[in-house]
Amino acid sequence: MTLEKLKKHFPWITLLTLVVFVGALDSNFLRPENLLQLAGDISTLFVMALGITFVIYLGGIDLSAQSVANMTTVLATLMLPIFGASTAVICVLIGALFGFVSGFVSTKLKVPSFIATLAVGGIALSVGQFASGQRALYMDAVLRDQSFSWLTGNIGGIPREMIIALVLLVGALILERRTTIGRAFKAIGAGELAAVASGLRVGRYKMAAFAISGAFAATAGLLFAVKLSGGSPEMANGFLLPAIVAVLVGGTPLTGGVGGVLNTLIGALIVAVIRTSMLYLEIPATAQQIFFGVVLIAAIAFTIDRGKVRTVK
Amino acid sequence: MSFPDRDVLHRWAPLLVLVALVCFFSLVNPNFMSLRNFARIGISATPPLMVAVGVTFIIIMGSIDLSMEGAVAVCAVVFAAIFIWLGGTLASWAWLALPACIVVGALYGLLNGLVHVKLRIPSFMASLSMGFVGIGLSLLMTGGDRIRVEDKIFRSLLTERYLGFPLMVHVALLVILIAWFIQSRTAIGRNFYAVGGGEELAHASGLDVKRVRVLGFMLAGVFYALGALFAVAQIGIAETATGYNFMFVSITSVVVGGTALWGGNGGVWNTLVGVLIVNVINNGMIVMGLPRYLQDGVLGLLVILAVVLSTDRKSLAFVK
Repeated sequence: MTLEKLKKHFPWITLLTLVVFVGALDSNFLRPENLLQLAGDISTLFVMALGITFVIYLGGIDLSAQSVANMTTVLATLMLPIFGASTAVICVLIGALFGFVSGFVSTKLKVPSFIATLAVGGIALSVGQFASGQRALYMDAVLRDQSFSWLTGNIGGIPREMIIALVLLVGALILERRTTIGRAFKAIGAGELAAVASGLRVGRYKMAAFAISGAFAATAGLLFAVKLSGGSPEMANGFLLPAIVAVLVGGTPLTGGVGGVLNTLIGALIVAVIRTSMLYLEIPATAQQIFFGVVLIAAIAFTIDRGKVRTVK
Repeated sequence: MSFPDRDVLHRWAPLLVLVALVCFFSLVNPNFMSLRNFARIGISATPPLMVAVGVTFIIIMGSIDLSMEGAVAVCAVVFAAIFIWLGGTLASWAWLALPACIVVGALYGLLNGLVHVKLRIPSFMASLSMGFVGIGLSLLMTGGDRIRVEDKIFRSLLTERYLGFPLMVHVALLVILIAWFIQSRTAIGRNFYAVGGGEELAHASGLDVKRVRVLGFMLAGVFYALGALFAVAQIGIAETATGYNFMFVSITSVVVGGTALWGGNGGVWNTLVGVLIVNVINNGMIVMGLPRYLQDGVLGLLVILAVVLSTDRKSLAFVK
């Protein structure tokens, strides 16, 4: 088997190896309750990573996801007493709007996506700080349970958060595999110039991908706000790095075109297992960031398609 | 309007914007136009100016560096730790912490450049990852605590004033002159423009592009270290948060100053104007009584506007 063929299978082999490794360190790790909790804890992060996957698949990047999620925790907390359960819909729409603006700026105004999303992230951060008055806000427990009881607690031992994440995964998977939009994404990811030449309206699809990413980021923020029963403009800080790591470790390279949302599931689980193993090995939380930074570099170097980037700038 | 006019306008646009902003804020609030307020702007502009000048060299090459938050945090913390350990005053061996800080900055930049060039990873992602590593590293070193640097001699950078401006502003101007010298009077400075103007052409004419890139990142690291020193002198504290917001502010400044993201043009003076624009806006917003947190949003809009305005010209040239 050549390296190229092996690359495709690398993510799940990594996951399996890690699980076996950590299981050997501590057999408690492999207990179903523990694995379930592990998967539950990663749900919010996974939802954000799902959205980012679409943007990276097209060869772009979304650095605004964390700020959009931060903003959403604040907006969701503020809107809950006014709009009740429809807060969720409004939040997702606002997230999609921010994503759309990123997409518009990067495709129509031709600003590189990392700068465009950084700038839009700055705007989202301002909105979050402005709306919250730079304070941490708390949700009213009764109101929260009235509107969002379907987001908290367990069904048959499975955390509801995780079920939501799985439903979103299935939705994203259908979008990716069974719709025109998904096929267009595939065409653009495989070769943008060819897609343009064959008459595809590439700009529109790219904007759609950014909007999807924004909507998922907002969903992640909403889940987080409900889980912690409140919001603050700093609540989701620390999400961006592991979310991007999840996408890349899962096997969607920075240059896009291969991989997809299922890969991100594997990537997110890898992140979860690494985090847990660090707890077992008693590595301080601060060192995690160093480690994930290095993992990110390694993952990019290993997966990037060098045929697509002629000069590496 | 004929073409040369547009070019000339483009060149001077950032400076015109700066002058217009100063006029605007002076009209809104007469207190804006005072030596004391200008000194305040000078103080707040000094650390970001150093960082922005550093990243200018990289943007001239057509690359980008997003690692400054981590780099500044690491440099600040290492400086403060060594400084305190060796006696805590510049009048002792603790002065060695200054060169040590610069060396750490250079090494950080070197590593950044090597990851980018040797592993052939796009610079925005290589440096973003390295920035995360740096933030983690500084957290690990401090354990989340603050290190106080209260030495009077070191803090004189802020407290000692000449001609109304603190010492740090004068030192920063000197550094700008050095940066300008590197940019326009040395081989490496010209090589940055050659790489940014057309990498393949530069390569074909015998330039070791990889080496230039790595050196560029290393040079930027030195300027980040200077930025860290000024930031510590300014508030007397070194911590992980010392690096906070430097990425956004410095890149906005460079772009607003008129250095294009795809490289090959602009330079140190543009960045000086860009940093002043950003800091005049921040200061003006405070003078006008607007809340501080609007800053990020305004900067976000500003950076989009600046990139769009400079892109327009390029695509025009392309169409013709």
